[in-house]
Amino acid sequence: MNMKRLLSTILISLLLVPALLFAAGTKEQAKDSAGDGIITLSVYHFLDQTDKTTAPNFQYLVDVFEKANPNIRLTFEYGYGEAFHDKLQTMAMSGQLPDIVLLYPGERTSQVTNAGLVQDLRPYLSGHEDEFADMAMQGQGENGEIWELPEDISITSIMFTNNRLLKELGLALPKTYEELLAQGPVIRAAGLIPISIANKDAWPMQSCVAGMLVERACGLPWFDKAIAGEARFDDPEFVYALQIIKDLTDKQMLSPGTNQLAYGQGLDDFVQEKAVYFIDGGWTVNNMVGELTAEQKAYMSLESFPDIPNQKGQSLSTSATAGQGFGMNAKLSKAESDAAWKWIWFYSGPEGSAIRQRFGRLPAYNLAEPKDADPMIQKLVAYAGKVPMGYVMDSVLAAEPIGTFNINLQNMMFGTKTPKQVAQELEAMVAAVGR
Amino acid sequence: MTFSQQKRMSYYAFLAPGLLLFASIIIFPVAYSLTLSFTSFGGYGTPEFIGLGNYAKIISDEVFLHSLRNNLLIVAISVFGQIPLGFLLAYLLHRKMVRNGDFYQTMIFLPITISPVVVALLWNQIFSSSGMVVALIRRLTGESQYVIRIFEDRQLAILPILFVLLWMHTGTYMIIFYANLQKMTPSLLEAAQIDGANESQMMIRIILPSMVGTIATTAIFAISGSLKAFDLIYAMTGGGPAHFTEVIAIYMYINTFKYYKYGFGSAASMIIVLLAVGLILLLQYISRKFERRFE
Repeated sequence: MNMKRLLSTILISLLLVPALLFAAGTKEQAKDSAGDGIITLSVYHFLDQTDKTTAPNFQYLVDVFEKANPNIRLTFEYGYGEAFHDKLQTMAMSGQLPDIVLLYPGERTSQVTNAGLVQDLRPYLSGHEDEFADMAMQGQGENGEIWELPEDISITSIMFTNNRLLKELGLALPKTYEELLAQGPVIRAAGLIPISIANKDAWPMQSCVAGMLVERACGLPWFDKAIAGEARFDDPEFVYALQIIKDLTDKQMLSPGTNQLAYGQGLDDFVQEKAVYFIDGGWTVNNMVGELTAEQKAYMSLESFPDIPNQKGQSLSTSATAGQGFGMNAKLSKAESDAAWKWIWFYSGPEGSAIRQRFGRLPAYNLAEPKDADPMIQKLVAYAGKVPMGYVMDSVLAAEPIGTFNINLQNMMFGTKTPKQVAQELEAMVAAVGR
Repeated sequence: MTFSQQKRMSYYAFLAPGLLLFASIIIFPVAYSLTLSFTSFGGYGTPEFIGLGNYAKIISDEVFLHSLRNNLLIVAISVFGQIPLGFLLAYLLHRKMVRNGDFYQTMIFLPITISPVVVALLWNQIFSSSGMVVALIRRLTGESQYVIRIFEDRQLAILPILFVLLWMHTGTYMIIFYANLQKMTPSLLEAAQIDGANESQMMIRIILPSMVGTIATTAIFAISGSLKAFDLIYAMTGGGPAHFTEVIAIYMYINTFKYYKYGFGSAASMIIVLLAVGLILLLQYISRKFERRFE
């Protein structure tokens, strides 16, 4: 082999390496490659594309926006469940965050917001703050930044009630916890589930039940103190809230094998009228609109969990939080930022909110009551207007304490941990990672 | 440049792309992960060096210990379940002890061709509280609240997963053994038969000794595969309920991607590597002993 050929071999070999390594890499988005004034923006969204309700609803919003804004082209990438968050982290850490990205309040997407990868939306939002629910305008960053414009108010604990079954069984809507427990044997004897809830994923018991019970057992002032570090999560009132979940389990009030049931099964059992009550968040109304018949919608109602003994919180109270929304990449140019804001404002502002309300959502943007909307949506809006709201635990506590707490609730339901132990572990973890 | 120097250079030239690729996608990530494992890196900011702090936390964490126990059970079902069963099935097929061998061969191998996620959904449909078996039992017994409680028992919840793993992977080992059995010279067994050896004598004295190398190789596959088990279990149970079916890979995943503890997660991944290397070295030591004995 002569020297020239040897060097050529080495050179080609070395050139092959980066080609191989980056062959599968992502390509940079051309913002205005054609020079035709069209701005192309990449969007990363949380969406189950196989969902026959939410996917077409979202596409409808995109179509309306693109028709009204022909100079803005949105290219979507979707993720769902944990995969959404895994990919978001990878994008954030590799410096490839899309132009517009769906973000969550609290700690869920803090690896993006705390790292300064997205813009503060307050300059764009200025003057419109009063048009949103107060809950949605609470600061999300250390200095009150708004990283994402919340699309919805998420009421996380609603006791959906099948009044037809109640009547058939000779029962009435319970006003107290004891009355609810007394209904259990009657409902089970009829081969039905008293309260449908599916907790395999561990978060529903915390998000849809525990937060509401903490407000009832401890009251909102205690909750504020606990978040501020002036009260402890192993205080007796907090333990009492957990004890109620334990009692509901032991007295067979919840779906049999609730911790084996994948999320969605709770709704299925309720829609198929196998359960008298169903505890879930307001977002479920979105699915109920399509899955309940007109006749069913007439006798299904949205109620609050009944009063518990020694209640310190308010009657009928539920738990709620301002939901997720779109934020925009900090690296966008002025023109790109303006285009991105157009989408964000369209989606969470008056126009998109009105459309989403028709689809069964509860927008964070203040809208008039929808007179011509689906009956379930009207019931949701009416419910939201009449109930006091406490905190959702996963919106005020960090990811690790809440993840451990969710799992410990399952442990408590299986009897491998006591309510006191679960409370103590939560306090220890919150104290360790910071409030 | 002399001819031998040129020859050496050409070796390096041909080796370079592969080596660089290997360094980029294997050595660098492992070294980076090892470095991160000594820090409290949370995804942004400067990683803070904390020495062996992550490792100390992990080995004193009861969730990790339970995950390790589950992993070791998976190793056990792989090495002492899938491999012997795979060998036995291959032997039965090779010795034509069953009719319609091709049909059984296809049926046994079929599960491995299905995506683990599909397998998980399939078994979940069968055994979950809303699944077929529970519905059938409820109908037969009239007990509307019936559920299979094994999934809610900390010690036993892993058993259904072990069963599915056995069902899913035995076919792989069967095919490996079957291929190796076919390579054996038929005259060897015929000679043994003429000499009056019965089936079990042929199995113990001829076939098994010639398969020691294959058994060791399959065991290495089984151990390394078992320690990184993730997809099927995550899709089936997500490690739940209450960590009951968690394995180390899921423990690492949850800590890294749900709790944003990249340093901690890296330490957990290094423990998986160390365990795999340790167990494989032990296995190689044992297989060498066997090989010497049979020689």
